[in-house]
Amino acid sequence: MKIIELKHVTRQYPDGFTALHDLNLSLESGKFYSLLGPSGSGKTTILRLIAGFDQPTQGEILFNGRKINDLPAAQRPLNTVFQNYALFPHLNVFENIAFGLKVKKVPADQIQVKVDRMLSLVRLEGFGQRSVQELSGGQQQRVAIARALVNQPKVLLLDESLSALDKKLRKTMQFELRSIQKQLGITFIFVTHDQEEALAMSDEIFVLNEGRLQQSGSPSAIYDEPVNEFVARFIGDSNLLMGHMIRDFEVEFDNHRFECADAGIKPGEQVQVLLRPEDLSLVAPQQGKIVVEVLSQLFLGDHYEIWAKDDAGFNWLIHTVEKAPTKRCGLHFAPDAIHVMRLGESESEFDQRLSQYEDNEK
Amino acid sequence: MKRIGRALYLILAFVLLYLPIVYLAYFSFSSGKDMVRFQHFSWVHYQVLWSDKELLAIFLQTIILAILSSLIATAIGTCGAWGIFRLRGYRRKTMLVLNNVLMVAPDVIIGASFLICFTALGIGLGFFSVLLSHIAFSIPIVVLMVLPRLQDLDLTLIDAAQDLGAGRGVIFNQIVLPEIMPGILSGLFMALTYSLDDFAVTFFVTGNGFKTLSVEIYSRARQGINLEINALSTVMLLVVMLLAGGYLFLTRQHELALGARS
Ligand SMILES: Nc1ncnc2c1ncn2[C@@H]1O[C@H](COP(=O)(O)OP(=O)(O)OP(=O)(O)O)[C@@H](O)[C@H]1O
Ligand SMILES: [Mg+2]
Repeated sequence: MKIIELKHVTRQYPDGFTALHDLNLSLESGKFYSLLGPSGSGKTTILRLIAGFDQPTQGEILFNGRKINDLPAAQRPLNTVFQNYALFPHLNVFENIAFGLKVKKVPADQIQVKVDRMLSLVRLEGFGQRSVQELSGGQQQRVAIARALVNQPKVLLLDESLSALDKKLRKTMQFELRSIQKQLGITFIFVTHDQEEALAMSDEIFVLNEGRLQQSGSPSAIYDEPVNEFVARFIGDSNLLMGHMIRDFEVEFDNHRFECADAGIKPGEQVQVLLRPEDLSLVAPQQGKIVVEVLSQLFLGDHYEIWAKDDAGFNWLIHTVEKAPTKRCGLHFAPDAIHVMRLGESESEFDQRLSQYEDNEK
Repeated sequence: MKRIGRALYLILAFVLLYLPIVYLAYFSFSSGKDMVRFQHFSWVHYQVLWSDKELLAIFLQTIILAILSSLIATAIGTCGAWGIFRLRGYRRKTMLVLNNVLMVAPDVIIGASFLICFTALGIGLGFFSVLLSHIAFSIPIVVLMVLPRLQDLDLTLIDAAQDLGAGRGVIFNQIVLPEIMPGILSGLFMALTYSLDDFAVTFFVTGNGFKTLSVEIYSRARQGINLEINALSTVMLLVVMLLAGGYLFLTRQHELALGARS
């Protein structure tokens, strides 16, 4: 069931700057969504539109199929965890969490029960009477999450809520958020510019750039089959080369022809080819598809990061668990490690082509 | 060298500013009748002051007037600041300029215009007219003290309160008000002192029935030197110093709290 839809939403600010261009999003109930994009891509703008702090200049925002463009924020059944937490500094932890319930005139004994339950959910039992200013960043964040969740929203919006935390706490909180989401079955919309975080947590990711939706899909779909160079570069490390199609399932780049898994593109058409560094391996020179010379290798704890140059002058980034066997070695990869992208192909065109040649195969 | 020079300059300036006041206070303890020579220490002028029931009544009236007018002005000024704060662009600028003009306009002009206004409206001159004008000239200073606090306010707090379902009233009372309290208190203290020491405006708008201390002191001082006035002035000075001290204490407390926060 669709819980939130954005239809042809455009947001132009009074200074003339258009932060969102004709955006279409559709979110299903109970899932974990991430909005992923570089700084200034319009993520916060989308959240503010959904939360009701801002209105679109064009287009519709639907909640359960009902248009809510003009519904004030206070009346929307969703809550926000702000980027800077926005805890009320003069109220203690308990009063912060109870704020929404008090406003809704919930009886005091019920408030007590609900807030206590929230405190234990975010593992802050016994912190009720503390001043929020004394808490650490991670604790403040958990108070902010509890303050939003206690109202039992249908949708929870989180704006870069983990960005201020150190790596370890961040991993813990990612895990906790995910389990809270599964436990309560609430729809989460999580804004981040950290691709690892989005890949780790989401059911579905929306990749944005300059106010336009680039691609949406499951983490693996976005990682394995980015529709364009922007998505490929933004998500994960990549080796990107220009090349052209020879025929279906054969592509030429780097002065060689390779078998590949892509089809439905005119022979001779210019394409861009993506190979993920972890899909590459180094073997003996005569066994590889390309011969490369190792330039540097760096041990990063769980893998080696190797830079190697081929005869055509391209610098390859390779992630392997083993060290390079020799200075000159062969580069090996499977046909389906090659991901061919047409220049300027949109997400819908890409999906269409994919379904076409998958049908042909049958 | 430069630093010593600056210190000397400051000391000199303060001595010059405080000398007349200290001189005046000093002679309030003299048993003599003039400020030519200090006779010997005595409380005699304070005793006269204490038994001067008319003056004491005026003193009380002045205080009541100050408290009343500053409270009302603070309430109106705070709402005004909130209103100006929510305006954008040129409207906000216009409102600010209008507010500041009132701040710098000479008291005489303000007093005279109040007088014209009251007589035109048929409002009798007395306690009520003085109260109205004190409220009026205190509002701009309250606005000026509260507005910076509002500008420092974290706007996402308002978003957050809205997000949690709070209406305008709740947002103002429970979120905005506690955050800008120090500004409101400064405004209140300023309004209090403005009302206590105003002479020019009051002089214009007061009638026969009602006098404030400054007006009374002025009319007595014109009749010749009377050390009772010195005693009264010293008492007033003490009151104002206590107010200023209290104000400093409160702001210091707040800064300490802020320091603990960051
Ligand atoms: N009130 C405003 N007036 C004009 N332009 C604005 C306004 N708010 C945001 N913008 C612009 O809109 C664009 C998108 O802003 P937004 O805050 O949505 O980005 P973001 O994706 O959240 O970035 P970040 O990751 O840095 O938080 C930016 O270029 C920003 O400068
Ligand atoms: Mg943002």
